[in-house]
Amino acid sequence: MSPEQLTEQLNAALRKPLAGKVPGDRVDQLTRLSGGAVNETWRLKWGDTPLILRRRPFSADSVDNLEGNILGLSLKDEAAVIQLATAAAVPVPEIYAVFDAAHPVGEAFLMDFIPGESIPQRWLTDVNFEAARDRLAFECGQALARIHAIDSSQLPDTVAPTTLEKRFRVAQQRLHTFGDSSPVMQLGLNWLIDHAPKEAPCVLLHGDFRTGNLLIDDNGLAGVLDWELAHQGPAEEDLGYLCAHVWRFGQLDKPVGGFGHYEDLIAGYESIAGWAPALTTVRYWEIFAALSWGLVCQTMGALWHSGNGDVERAAIVRRRSEAELDMLLLMEAWEDS
Amino acid sequence: MTQDNDNGTPTDVSSLELLGAVKSFLMESAVPALSGRDQFNARVAANVLGIIEREQSINEDLFALDSKAAQQWLPDAEPGANIPQRLSRALAQRQLEPDTDFLDYLKARQLLVTAINNPRYASRAIAEKKWRTRDT
Repeated sequence: MSPEQLTEQLNAALRKPLAGKVPGDRVDQLTRLSGGAVNETWRLKWGDTPLILRRRPFSADSVDNLEGNILGLSLKDEAAVIQLATAAAVPVPEIYAVFDAAHPVGEAFLMDFIPGESIPQRWLTDVNFEAARDRLAFECGQALARIHAIDSSQLPDTVAPTTLEKRFRVAQQRLHTFGDSSPVMQLGLNWLIDHAPKEAPCVLLHGDFRTGNLLIDDNGLAGVLDWELAHQGPAEEDLGYLCAHVWRFGQLDKPVGGFGHYEDLIAGYESIAGWAPALTTVRYWEIFAALSWGLVCQTMGALWHSGNGDVERAAIVRRRSEAELDMLLLMEAWEDS
Repeated sequence: MTQDNDNGTPTDVSSLELLGAVKSFLMESAVPALSGRDQFNARVAANVLGIIEREQSINEDLFALDSKAAQQWLPDAEPGANIPQRLSRALAQRQLEPDTDFLDYLKARQLLVTAINNPRYASRAIAEKKWRTRDT
């Protein structure tokens, strides 16, 4: 759908949900933002108010043959989880409207625009964000503890509890489906199975809580974005994911997202949750996160082959080799320690 | 087909040179002329050409490394077999014990694969230092 067509559809669809909430009567300056491997993100203005539209450009049916939820929740379920996070005092945007795949706009939701920087290269090394970065690991720990405390009985059915064993089985199936093309990813999966931590209670996980999906302003954490990979699992998984090499954007000496240190993240978590996640378990999940990133890269390839996506999606497939390299490094470091 | 003329002035253009020419067009003409998503994708496209360029020069080493690995760990593999796939399946079935030799092969292989796909990935410098030092 062209931006002009989308503007027209949105003009018709948004008047009712925005009436009395956001002044204005039409969409202006609809612009697609870069990034977002699965869903599109558009910025627009309604009257003078900037808003953000998340939209899935293809039918979920086209990827049904891919087992599991690696592409994430429907946007409707993602919106439901964000609304629960609002109630739990996690910094998230307010949601104004949700559309399902049958709607002329397409599967999408409309939310507030939160000012702040999300693009890692703009805040990860800039001196103007130094004060924000200093407190960010602690704040991320706090935000994660708040997310993990959300009552799981309120969650959509698609965000169900699972077990490590099931996760391993799904990962193995996916490696087979993708042609068993990576001995390193298979070695990594074997290692994760052999070193699995004791089964822990499932909590709501953000699932993609990392540099790039966080909005940062002068005061620190301003917003938590991109909830499409929300699922249930052990708390340490979200912490390890945030520390994965690939999400440090080159700042490898700062293990928490390329900006902070483990002890601050864990202290922030403990300050809200009342217990401290074990560092070894967090580091286990870093290796799991590398495997997951490799699988996401392969999924992008499968999606591209099914006719969905542009050159960016085709190119992401090659980033699997980063995940493989990290798995080898991290398994070696684990054995050496 | 074009040929060099008697004066030795090259008239032929190799596939690597063609890639370079397209890359220059993308970075010097297309990127400045485009905006938004198209500009972003033009940059991605130029990077993709870099991958192809590097793959052309590194693939031979990768092939040699995999062939050697096949002799050691897949003695029954027929010529032309998909070696990474055969190794993955042997690992999945736990028929292949990942000993130090095998891990060293995977590390050497991964340095080559990342040299093709993303030579500037930050972990790569660390891996290269660690793994190359051990070899010597």
